[in-house]
Amino acid sequence: MSEQKLFSFRNPWFGASVGVSGAIAVLAALAGLIWLPMVQPDLKISGIWDAICSAAGVPRTVPRSGGAQQPDFKTSNVVMTSQMLTHPDQVSIGRGATLAQRCAICHGPQGVSDANSPNLAGQYAAVTYKELNDFKAGARVNAVMSPFAANMGNRDMLDLAAYYSFLPRVPSSHLNDNAPAPQIVITGAPMRNIAPCGACHGDIDIKAGSPWLGGQSAVYIKAQLKAFASGGRRNDISQQMRNIARQMTAEEIDAVALYYEAQP
Amino acid sequence: MLINKRLILAHFWLAFVVFGLALILGAWQMFVRSPLNAWHFNPELYYRSVTAHGSAMGYVFPTLIAMGFGYAITESALEKPLIGTRWAWAGFALVAVGAVVAMIPVSIGLASVLYTFYPPMVGNPFYYIGVVMVVVGSWIWVALMSINLSIWKRENPERPVPLAMFANVAGSYLWGWTAVGAALEIIFLILPVALGLKSTIDAGLARVFFSWTLHAIVYFWLIPTYIAYYTIFPRAIGGRLYSDAMARISFILFVVVAMPIGMHHLFADPQVGAGFKFMHSVFTGLVALPTLLTVFTICASAEIASRLRGGSGAFGWVRALPWQNPIMLATALSLVMLGFGGAGGLINMSYQLDASIHNTQWITGHFHLIFGGAIVIMYFAIAYDLWPHLTGRALENFGLMRAQLWLWFIGMIVTTFPWHYVGILGMPRRMAFYDYANPAISPQAFSVAISTVGGLILLISGVLFFVVLIRGQMAHRSEAGAYRFSVPVHMPERIPVALNSFGLWLALMVGLTVVNYGYPIGQLLVLKETNVPAVYVGASR
Amino acid sequence: MTTESDPHLGEAVAARIERRWATLSIAIVGVLVGMAIFIGIDHATMPQGHVETADPKTLHLAGEFIESNLGSAMEADGSVTVRAIGQQYSFTPQCIVVPSGTPVTLRATSADVVHGLLIEGTNINTMLVPGYVSELPVQFKAPGEHAMPCQEFCGIGHQGMWGKVKVVDKATFLGMMASQRRLSCVD
Repeated sequence: MSEQKLFSFRNPWFGASVGVSGAIAVLAALAGLIWLPMVQPDLKISGIWDAICSAAGVPRTVPRSGGAQQPDFKTSNVVMTSQMLTHPDQVSIGRGATLAQRCAICHGPQGVSDANSPNLAGQYAAVTYKELNDFKAGARVNAVMSPFAANMGNRDMLDLAAYYSFLPRVPSSHLNDNAPAPQIVITGAPMRNIAPCGACHGDIDIKAGSPWLGGQSAVYIKAQLKAFASGGRRNDISQQMRNIARQMTAEEIDAVALYYEAQP
Repeated sequence: MLINKRLILAHFWLAFVVFGLALILGAWQMFVRSPLNAWHFNPELYYRSVTAHGSAMGYVFPTLIAMGFGYAITESALEKPLIGTRWAWAGFALVAVGAVVAMIPVSIGLASVLYTFYPPMVGNPFYYIGVVMVVVGSWIWVALMSINLSIWKRENPERPVPLAMFANVAGSYLWGWTAVGAALEIIFLILPVALGLKSTIDAGLARVFFSWTLHAIVYFWLIPTYIAYYTIFPRAIGGRLYSDAMARISFILFVVVAMPIGMHHLFADPQVGAGFKFMHSVFTGLVALPTLLTVFTICASAEIASRLRGGSGAFGWVRALPWQNPIMLATALSLVMLGFGGAGGLINMSYQLDASIHNTQWITGHFHLIFGGAIVIMYFAIAYDLWPHLTGRALENFGLMRAQLWLWFIGMIVTTFPWHYVGILGMPRRMAFYDYANPAISPQAFSVAISTVGGLILLISGVLFFVVLIRGQMAHRSEAGAYRFSVPVHMPERIPVALNSFGLWLALMVGLTVVNYGYPIGQLLVLKETNVPAVYVGASR
Repeated sequence: MTTESDPHLGEAVAARIERRWATLSIAIVGVLVGMAIFIGIDHATMPQGHVETADPKTLHLAGEFIESNLGSAMEADGSVTVRAIGQQYSFTPQCIVVPSGTPVTLRATSADVVHGLLIEGTNINTMLVPGYVSELPVQFKAPGEHAMPCQEFCGIGHQGMWGKVKVVDKATFLGMMASQRRLSCVD
C-alpha cells in the first residue's frame, strides 16, 4: 500500500476528517451550549457563562417565589428504603421478645391475634418499625396504640420489629389455599391506577414499607382500606396507599379483605 | 476458503436457537397484552419474558451472528485459516455460558428488570454477571479480528484489505468500544449493589452510561447486514459492487459517528444538560449519512446486475432482477423496512418531535422494524448464503426460503405499523396489560389486535426458517466451492491509507466520545447527592 | 449506467454520480439539523434547560415535594405550577387539574425508581429519574380529560400506573382555586 503517513496534515483524509469532525463538534457546542439557551425565555439566563453552565447540566436551583404549603396534619417522617432492617441481629430479636410481652394482650403471645388486631408474626421488620414510628409521631392515630408507641424509644421500636419479623407466620383459622384470587388482586385495575396487590405486598414483589397481608384479619384489612380511602388514615408516604384505596369499590375491598385473610 | 466450519456453524446454530426461543416469548408477549387475551395473569411473568426476550435478542443473538460471520469473513476474505481458534472457542463458550448464567435468574423471576437494567431497580447479580460474560466473550472476538487483520496486513503489505474484512473489523471495533458503556454501568454501578457491597446508585449516571451502549449497539447489529448488502448481494445476483471506496467510507462513518449520539435516548431525561442533548442530536443526524450512501450504492449495484441481465428502461430494470433468488428478495425487503424504519428514526432523533413518541409503543415499533425487520432478515440471507459452504450440503428449496422471507416481511409490517400508530395515540410501552375496555384507550385495541396477528406470522416464518436450515443439514452432499464476496465494478488500484486502516477512525471515535460524553459523565460522577437507594426486585418473601 | 468503452471514463461518471448523491445526503442532514435549531428558537420547544437535584428518600419530609404542596398552585404572574411525584405505582396527585390556555410549569420527580410521565393526546412527555427534578413548560389548548400513564418500566405494578389530567377552563379553575392553595382533582 502507499507509504503515505496517516497522522499527518499532508494526508488530506486526516486533515479533512479531523477538521470536519472538529468543526461540527464546535458548531454544535456553540449552538447547543450558548445560542439556544440564550434564546429560551423560561430559563432566565444571565449571561454567556450562565448559559453554558445551565446547558452543560451543572445542577442549579431556580429561585421560586413562595414557600411550600405546609400540611395541616402529621405525615410519616420515616425514611424508607428497600434495604431497611433486612438483617436484624439476635440481640435485637432477644430484646424485642422481652418488650413484646406488653403487646401480647392484643397481638397474641406468638404475634397472632384473635381480636382483629393485626398479626405481627413474620411481618417485615421495616413495616412494624414504620407503623410504630408513625403512631409515636402522630402520623397514624389509634386510641390503643398511640399511647403505647408514645413511650417507645427508637431502639425499642427497632427491637420489636426485629422480633416480630423473626417469628414464623401462622395461617389464620380461615385458611383456604384454594380460594380463587379476585381479579383485583391479580391484575388490579390499571385505568383506575390500581396495581396488583402482590406487586407491593410480597406475593409477587415487595415495595419497601408494604405489609405482608396473608392471614391478616379481614375486619382489619377492610377497616384500613376504608380509612385510606376516606383519608382517615394518612401515614402512607405521599399517598401511595390512599391513591389505590380511594379507587376501590366497596365490593373490591370486601373481596380483597376476605381473600388475604384466607391466605397463608 | 472456510476451514473452521464447526466453529462458525456453532455460532450460527446457537444464535438461531436463542433467536427461536426468544421469538416464541415475543409472540407470547404480544398475545397476552393484546385485547385477544382476557389478561387474568400475573404481570410478573410478562416482565420476566420481556427481560429474557430482550436480553436474548439484543445481547446474545446478534453478537453470535457477528462473531460467527466475522470468523467466516476472516477465513474467506483473507484466504487463510483463522489465527487463534482456541481463543475463538473460548469466546464462544463464554457467550454460551454467560447466556445460561443470565437466563437462570431471569427465568425464575429474580431479575425482571428488562434488558435495559433500569437501576435503581436491581435484580439477582447472576443476571448481570451473565451479561458481562457475554460481552467479554465477544471482546475476545474483537481482539481476534484485530489480530488476524494486522497479521494479514503484515504479510500482504501491497494489497488493500478486502472490503468484507475491513467492514467486519470496523464492526468489531465499534462493538468493542460501545460495549464499554454498559460494562462500566454494570461493573461499577449495578454489580456492587446487586452483590450487597453498596446500597445506593446514581440512576441518572447509569442511564448515561447505558446510552453510550444503547445506540451504537444498533449499528453493531446492523453491520453484518450492511456487509451482506455490499459484499454478498451484488455477487449473489450476478452483478458487481458499484463502489468500493464508498462502502469503506460508510463503514468508517459508522465507526466514527455511531458513538457520540447515544444521548438522543435521553432527550426527556432530567440529568443531562440541554446543550449536550443538542450536540448528540446533531451527530445523530450525521449517522443517517452512511445509510443514505448505502442505499444508493446498493440500488446502483442492483441496477448494474439487472442491466447485465438485459434489464432496460429508467425503472424497467427492476423487473429484470433475479427475484427468484432469496438473497435478492431478502435485500429488497430489508431495504424497504430500513426505509420505513429510518423515516421513523428521523422523528426519534429530532430534538422536539421525540417528545410526542418517547417511550411509547412507537419506539417498540421502530426498533423492531429496524432490527427485527431490516437487520434480521439479512441474517437469514447470510445463513442461506453461507450454509452450503459450512455444511457441504446444498440448500435447494428456494421457494420455501422465499416464502419464509416474505412471511417475515409481512409479519414485521403487520406487527410494527400498528405499533407506530398506537404510539402516536400515546400508548406507553413495556406494560403487561391494558384495560382496553376503558374509553380512554379503547381506540387502540383494534390496532393492537392486528399487531398480534403479525406476531403469529413472524412465528410461522421462524418455524419455516428452521425447516430450511434443518433440511439443509440433512440434504445430499455437494461441493459449494470457495466462498466469495462481490467484486467492485472498478477495482481500485490504490487505496488511500486512510481507507485501508483504522488508526485515524478509532482516534476520532474515542475523541468524539470524550467530547460528547466526557463532561456529562464527569459531572454526574462528582455529584454525590444523586446516589439513591437501590430497589431490589424479586426479593424473597 | 454508462456504456463507455473507456473504463476510466466510466469510473469518472460513476464517481460523479456518487458525489452528487453524497452532496444531497449531506444537504438532507443539514436541513434536519437546521430544522431542530429553528424550532428550538422559534417555538422554544427545547429539552429541559437546566439540571436540578432532589433526594428521593426525603421528598415527604421537607421541601417543595411534601404531600401538602403537591398539585396545582397559582403563581403571582398568573401562571400555574403543578408539582407531582411518581412512585411505585402511582403519581401524586393521582389526578392533576389545570386551566386551559394558561402557561403551566410542570415540576416532578421520583420517590423511588425511574418513572416516566406521558400525557396522552399532547406532546407532554418526560422522564422522572430519582435524584433529579424534571421541569417542563406546558400549555393545554382546550378543556378535556387526558390519561397520564407512566411510560417507563418501574416494577411489576407498572401497568397499573395510570393517572389523569383534567383540563378545565380558566374561570372554573380560578373558582376552584379560591378555596384552596393547592389543587388536584382527587376526590
